[in-house]
Amino acid sequence: MTPQTLAAADPGRTATLRAELRSEVTVAARVIPTHYPLETFIAVNPLAGLESMPFEQAIRRAGDLYGIAGALGEDTYRDLHRRGRITDADIESALRLRYPALLDGPAVRLGDRVLTPFQLLRADMLTGSPAPDAQRRSVTRAEQQAPQIAEQVDAQSAKWCAAYFGAPAAHWPMPGHRDGFYPAWRALAPGDHTLSRAVRRDLRALPARADDAALAALDRLRVDEDERTAYLQAHLTRLPGWAAHVRWSANHATGVTVLDYLAMRLTYESILLAHSDGRGRPGRAPEPRPQPEVPSARERSTALAGAWGLTALTEGDVAAAARVLSALPVASRHMVWQQAYEAHYRDGLLRCLAGGAPARTADRPQAQLVCCIDTRSEGLRRHLEALDGYETLGFAGFFAVAIRFSSTLGGAPNDLCPVLIRPEHDVRESPAPDAHRAARRLWLGSAIMAGAEEAFQSAKESLIAPFTLAEAAGWVAAPWAAAKTLTPSTSGRLRRSLRDRLAPPAATVLSINDTVPLSHRALYAQVALTTMGLTGGFARLVVLCGHGSTTENNPYQAALDCGACGGQAGGPNARTAAAILNDTEVRAELRGRGIAIGEDTWFLPAQHDTATDQVTMLDTHLVPATHRPDVLRLAGDLAVAGAGLAVERCASLPGGPAHPTPARAARHVAARSVDWAQVFPEWGLAGNAAFVVAPRDTTRGLDLQRRAFLHSYDAAVDPDGSALETILTAPMVVAQWINCQYYFSAVAPETFGAGTKTIHNVVGGVGVLAGHGGDLQLGLPRQSIAAGPSLAHEPIRLMTVVQAPLERIDTVIERNPVLQQLFGNDWVALAAREGSGHPWRRWTRNGWRPWEAGTPDAETDADTDAGTDTDTRGDTIQEVLPCH
Amino acid sequence: MPLNGLTKMTKIEVVVPGEYAAAVRDQFSGAGTTGFTSVSGVSGLGHGGYHQGRLLFNQQAALEMLITVVPEAKAEALVAGLRRLLDDSPGVMFVTDTYVSRPEYFS
Repeated sequence: MTPQTLAAADPGRTATLRAELRSEVTVAARVIPTHYPLETFIAVNPLAGLESMPFEQAIRRAGDLYGIAGALGEDTYRDLHRRGRITDADIESALRLRYPALLDGPAVRLGDRVLTPFQLLRADMLTGSPAPDAQRRSVTRAEQQAPQIAEQVDAQSAKWCAAYFGAPAAHWPMPGHRDGFYPAWRALAPGDHTLSRAVRRDLRALPARADDAALAALDRLRVDEDERTAYLQAHLTRLPGWAAHVRWSANHATGVTVLDYLAMRLTYESILLAHSDGRGRPGRAPEPRPQPEVPSARERSTALAGAWGLTALTEGDVAAAARVLSALPVASRHMVWQQAYEAHYRDGLLRCLAGGAPARTADRPQAQLVCCIDTRSEGLRRHLEALDGYETLGFAGFFAVAIRFSSTLGGAPNDLCPVLIRPEHDVRESPAPDAHRAARRLWLGSAIMAGAEEAFQSAKESLIAPFTLAEAAGWVAAPWAAAKTLTPSTSGRLRRSLRDRLAPPAATVLSINDTVPLSHRALYAQVALTTMGLTGGFARLVVLCGHGSTTENNPYQAALDCGACGGQAGGPNARTAAAILNDTEVRAELRGRGIAIGEDTWFLPAQHDTATDQVTMLDTHLVPATHRPDVLRLAGDLAVAGAGLAVERCASLPGGPAHPTPARAARHVAARSVDWAQVFPEWGLAGNAAFVVAPRDTTRGLDLQRRAFLHSYDAAVDPDGSALETILTAPMVVAQWINCQYYFSAVAPETFGAGTKTIHNVVGGVGVLAGHGGDLQLGLPRQSIAAGPSLAHEPIRLMTVVQAPLERIDTVIERNPVLQQLFGNDWVALAAREGSGHPWRRWTRNGWRPWEAGTPDAETDADTDAGTDTDTRGDTIQEVLPCH
Repeated sequence: MPLNGLTKMTKIEVVVPGEYAAAVRDQFSGAGTTGFTSVSGVSGLGHGGYHQGRLLFNQQAALEMLITVVPEAKAEALVAGLRRLLDDSPGVMFVTDTYVSRPEYFS
């Protein structure tokens, strides 16, 4: 019975089937990530839908769904061991964490050797046959019966997705786009003459509703009700990029839902299989897939004996060794490696943090700099603190103001807040009272430049105009392109100078204090200050420093901007928060709440450009005359700090000078940021590995190598734990997304990375394709995580380090399932201590345990090195230390 | 049987984490409901322990309660869809008879 006849015969049953299918699609879609458009590219955990599972189980499930390993290959780990990045102590520490009783078990005899369980397991990890590659097990009927049809379904899906999502920017938009994805596709698909006449005839008979089409296709494919969710997942994971973007689009009124997308895929599959000349039939029983061979524990034991050259083996010897090895299945070895890899960094970091910082002088600092928790801020803070008189703090870069910001230049308003929340207030930028004329000039100049740019692009992309354009503008466009390529810094300066001449900056103000009730503003101010532990001892100047990144020709620009500001630069948030905190009424309210901000304290907004390490002061026209000398001094010191940071960064940027002077380093990073051919403008958050929630005293004076998110927190001003709860349930969650995005882009680049930038093609602001077609690329491009064959990002899971009463941490975790899941399922490790000088403890589901670190300098066990070598070559990499 | 001239309908209340609320609303609209009420940041004690209410900067993890009222004819499909959703999602559903004075608002 077709859906149409069923609907007529039994409308109640039809409504139920449709409702159930809708839920199955929703549940199925949770295994795919959400892909944001390029303009607001947000870091996401591609396996967020599997966070209810322990990490190890989740990556196994991801292996079934996508055919990915979910961790580095064993060869890579072994190489890291040879190079000393993973030591025997790390392996022992990881094994002890997983099998606490096993390592202390009795030694076993193998031939003439007596071996401890650790020696056996270590040797197996170092020399055992590598685990077979992960295989996609969740497959469609077409994959099982006629792989060429599965390819055809993918090609059709990618083609229609590109047509639909690229339509707003295309000059020949998809007909019927306004009606939505399914109706437009349904109208056009039967006209596709690459398909046979029979297929097109069936496509012409599709029902008007996507759910009815999907139900009919599932029926033709004979997918049972119990199997449906898994089957839908098999389709969604074929082209996870497009599916992930459809998932985002479904919540943004773009005329497409995951159900529409699946209806298209299922329809193609069922019709193509039905007309496949016997190559495949919709309902044919699935063919069994061959399973890879995995050596048994006994075979592994024999292999080890062979590697050691042991001959006089008894059955009992082999069996005893096999009993030990069976505790660690081959498929789990990579997780032990991963834990060892992480243990090395984590143990080292906690050792560094245990020391504590040199005592801070009691003098009032000349300025306090509040930076975003972003790992890149750590470098700026460290370099500024090296100059006397500064104190720095870390806080989420939206500064507790979730706003929808409208620029004075017009354009669509931007939501500047973490995607975990919705903006609460509209903030408009308008000319300052005495700057209307300047603002008009800015507006006109910007409009002229935007118009010229648009006219040039339109002429370039239309049918005939490019010929005329080449004649008319070629004489200037070609040399200009050559100049941009050969002398990026000079052409960048020229462009800046032209922009400043045509559209000179104008002083503006924000509407926040006029439109938001005082009680709300006072609450934002209180929350921000309490959460970062800054409730007294204010300096004369408190700088709220957001961040953004200036790069050229970079579709992934938003990935370098502020995650807490929805993937955009955080300047407007800093300006909004500063406007609130400088308001006299707000300060009076705060005094009533126990936070006294002195009359001589001024909050100054600023923005750190993470590509150039220059900090731009904002709203300087509002600074009182009394504070202008302070601002001048700070600007000079920030320039020194930025140049110092540029020196540090140059050493790790591909092609950067190894030992530049600060001035040269500053010029170098500035030139990279305006170079349109530069694929490594900066490293972004590569290397991120820890999230520290503690007073700055815990980390001050340490070089954390821009690997740690630093959130200031003072347990003494947060007796009820509400600030800690806010930090752990929001900034830490966003940090974990970032961490997972980098992790999976590094370990599973084919599925969750975006490939090399050099072949990227942008599809209408939606995302990028590798080449001219195929799936939308998920995750980060290769140049964000690697330089050549070497990974620049170490894929290790986030460790959160908290300094607070353990009981308070427990309370916060107990009332927040999101934290129970992240910590309990090993997506994030949690280390904590009651206060300075206390030992670090590890949070587990069964309570706090001492943090038992491996011995940092353990020697390689030469006696049991079964065919392995420690690398003694001259090119051994320097061990990456968590801090200096 | 009408109660004081009121019309009998079905009230469906669902409590889910904020990140799943959109799926519930999708079910409501798919079933042809004419409206719903939602209360975000609800707290409570359940089989999983105490659940924190409003979180300052995370609306996805906070619980949301969604309430709708439908004629009995639409209730079966909606309940079936929601049950399928809650089979694989955290959350609870309460279905009760209710009486309304303005049935045209809900039909």
